[in-house]
Amino acid sequence: MGFVDLEVGPPADTFGGAAGEDKARAYEVFGYAFLARKPG
Amino acid sequence: MHDVAVDAEELREQVRHKYREVAAAPHRSFHFHTGRPLAARLGYDPAVVDALPDRAVESFAGVGNPFSLRPLQPGERVVDVGSGAGFDSLVAAAQVGEAGGVVGVDMTREMLEKAAETVAGLGAAHVAFREGLAEALPVEDGWADAVISNGVINLCADKQAVFAEIRRVLRPGGWLQFADIANGRPVPPEALRDIDLWTG
Repeated sequence: MGFVDLEVGPPADTFGGAAGEDKARAYEVFGYAFLARKPG
Repeated sequence: MHDVAVDAEELREQVRHKYREVAAAPHRSFHFHTGRPLAARLGYDPAVVDALPDRAVESFAGVGNPFSLRPLQPGERVVDVGSGAGFDSLVAAAQVGEAGGVVGVDMTREMLEKAAETVAGLGAAHVAFREGLAEALPVEDGWADAVISNGVINLCADKQAVFAEIRRVLRPGGWLQFADIANGRPVPPEALRDIDLWTG
């Protein structure tokens, strides 16, 4: 992808308590923050 | 176009349909959370969120906090990919200040109109919104110090094209800071090809 210094944050229970919670739980879906830098 | 699981334009139309509803009727029930409760769940600074008018927050439908690993710096130029009704763009605008600038890009007309009206009401001259696709950002090469996005890239069929485009608009040394969903268990191939599951 052409990025460096990738960092991933902790999981967020994005769908907990929402209508989509069951599907999210089935595939262990969580929200994450991602950080990366373009070289240069 | 890279090898993708679903038809990109058909997926875009389904996403537009869904997010038109989020723009027009943000308080109805979706499969995801919206608005101020979602911003609190995702750890946004309450002081920043409280300072924004309801129309700037009510249609927020992100999945994480793109500012949690790196706050934006004063004076930075920022592109918000899939800016929706402008919530993250306004959070970014508060961080970069009037010496910086924010360009929000979205493909859903109703979201763009709502965002533009909100920003006009706030008098935030350093924030602008443009119609466009994540795979073809209406931003010049190397313009951005940072690119943010929230819950958008997972809704794009051709993710390689999106990341290539983000890389194009970033200056050398610029930051990509986005939030999105990821699954811990593999999704069956037949489910990946079911376009209804992408948005519902």
